[in-house]
Amino acid sequence: MGMDLGKFLNSPEFEIRITTYRDIFQVEALERDRFGEEYKKLSATIMMSRNDLQKMGFKSGDRVRLTSNSGSVVVEAKENKRDEPGGIAFMVNSPWSNAIVSGETGGKGIPEFKNMTAKISLAKEEVTPLEKLMPGMRQA
Amino acid sequence: MVTCTGCALLCDDIEVVVENNRIKETRNACRRGAARMKGCVNRLIPSIYQKPSDIDSSIKKAAEILKNAKSPMLFGWSNSTCEAQVKGIGLARKLNAIIDDTSSFCQGILIEKVLQKKFRTCSLEDVRNRADVLIYWGSDAQDSQPRHLSRFSYFPRGETRQRGYEEDRVAIAIDVRESNTAKICKGHFYRIPLKGDREFILALIDALSGKVPSYDTKKILELAGILKKAEFGAIFAGIGLTYSIKEDLVVLLTLVDLLPNFHIMPMVGHYNMRGFNENLFRETGFVNRVKFDGNVNHEDKYSILEVLKEKRTDALLVIGGDPLSSLPGTVVKHLSAIPVICIDPCATLTSKIAVVTIPCAVSGVESDGTAVRMDGETVKLSKVMENNYLSDEKILTRLMRAI
Amino acid sequence: MLTVMELYQLLPKTNCKKCGESTCMAFAVALLSRKRKIAECTPILEENFKKQREKLEALLLPTAGAEETGMIVHTELCTGCGNCVVACPVDVANDPKGAAIGRAPSNDKVIFKVVEGKVVASNIKECRRFGKNRVLCYACIDPCPTGAIEFV
Repeated sequence: MGMDLGKFLNSPEFEIRITTYRDIFQVEALERDRFGEEYKKLSATIMMSRNDLQKMGFKSGDRVRLTSNSGSVVVEAKENKRDEPGGIAFMVNSPWSNAIVSGETGGKGIPEFKNMTAKISLAKEEVTPLEKLMPGMRQA
Repeated sequence: MVTCTGCALLCDDIEVVVENNRIKETRNACRRGAARMKGCVNRLIPSIYQKPSDIDSSIKKAAEILKNAKSPMLFGWSNSTCEAQVKGIGLARKLNAIIDDTSSFCQGILIEKVLQKKFRTCSLEDVRNRADVLIYWGSDAQDSQPRHLSRFSYFPRGETRQRGYEEDRVAIAIDVRESNTAKICKGHFYRIPLKGDREFILALIDALSGKVPSYDTKKILELAGILKKAEFGAIFAGIGLTYSIKEDLVVLLTLVDLLPNFHIMPMVGHYNMRGFNENLFRETGFVNRVKFDGNVNHEDKYSILEVLKEKRTDALLVIGGDPLSSLPGTVVKHLSAIPVICIDPCATLTSKIAVVTIPCAVSGVESDGTAVRMDGETVKLSKVMENNYLSDEKILTRLMRAI
Repeated sequence: MLTVMELYQLLPKTNCKKCGESTCMAFAVALLSRKRKIAECTPILEENFKKQREKLEALLLPTAGAEETGMIVHTELCTGCGNCVVACPVDVANDPKGAAIGRAPSNDKVIFKVVEGKVVASNIKECRRFGKNRVLCYACIDPCPTGAIEFV
């Protein structure tokens, strides 16, 4: 899949499943300053297994664009702290992960925060700033 | 000793050093709790249409907006004291409003079952004194309720668990990720695929009923063996589990029916989410998603998510929550189309788009009250230092009077 | 747990002796026991070893604040969960009504306390790893989810 698209795009695109988790250091940053750099740094990140990073040709620290049916966001890809078998990538719960969560819940009111699918590819752009993730501030 | 509102463990053994009306140092609180108690760098200031105002004008304007709305909604509550929650439920009644809290997209469905007594549950003291088998299922306490293992579950000596964790207790983690909690559970970490909880439960049910499980047979049989031998077991159910089996909670019910010595405890993050669920349940029989119109209506369409998606509210009061940060980006667009009133100690994403902001005291630091711990135990919050902020309860009382 | 081999693999492996040790392996041993600093290996400071040097630096977190007894608490990794406070056998013995049962320490005889959300060690001479009847105790290291406690 990646190869076919690669002809037309600068960088190949892959499909990835994403689940969200909680990180105490990110929560600490949230309590202190949810508009601060530390919170952004610890939130706008996707943690991936070494295998997946290699397979997709990314390096830890590369910026990647995640695009789902619901939205698109640029974050930093990093290698998981512990060995994970791969196939699933992890994002802490934050406005950055929420940018790609679907609002479709079958009328049940609980979004699939922990079960997302997105396209992932290398990004030239900077990490999406928080303001861009806030409707009502978008035009500003 | 003061109580920490960093998470729903409500640790009541915290010492603080106060200097010049701010907390200079915390003792015994974890990293999360310390950050909570020391507060944020950007306190909310009263404003109307993004212009600074004073608290009286903000409350007056908020009352006017809510009074004139056809379908007002009151949302948040998991970071409010019980006293404020009860006032809020009263306000919702008076306004014929929709009321919902963050449990609506978190642990609400599980807590509802606990309050309806469909699950066996227990207190955290029971866990400390008696539990020998602990299962962290889709929950990473180490990061979300950091002192859960040290204060109550795994590490402390308890009345019937005197010999220390290595001999007296087994901690098990079932998760899609090797979390910090899973790392502590070392030899008993069961990695499952995303959305694999149901299949895992069914395999366990097979093993416990004497059948050969079709899935990961050896590990499931080994786990079933540990569970069968438990004298007092606890399943700490996190949102990882809840989200995964939300359409089919009955499988979990079936599993615990086969485990008469086991108890289920929904793991709660926000310090008083369980309090809201209990308060609303006491008054209406439901834990969240209620619309008042003289009667009590409870339907999924009154969940914050569906209300925003279907544009069912024309004025939203947000108290102690940040829906703009915690809900899917596509859903929160409606927030910029309606008047939002925000009550919070700190500036939030939601407060940035709110037409009225009302700062309140940080509960447990700047104001007192009570809250409900994740196991249902009521805990007192104390006021640590003098300050000029109104408590969330006082703000709601004044709002009520103005309406 | 960090091993000599892990460190050795990241060194230049040229046995150049510039650091004063006879081999890179000997230098790795000295690094592990914190007798030597990474910068004493001058070749690794060169640009082409940048990656390896960064990895080494990440492995050998700063020892600043190491107690005379060799215990290091990496406060930047500590979550303040208090597992070590409750699991330490010295704390259990010295504070049966506090730390032993999961509560905040009730006296000053314990080794571990959490201050400002991070663990602080004191009374370090009480630690079972020191003194005449020392034992190789892992009671504070094993329960740490983030590897914040280390003995060097």
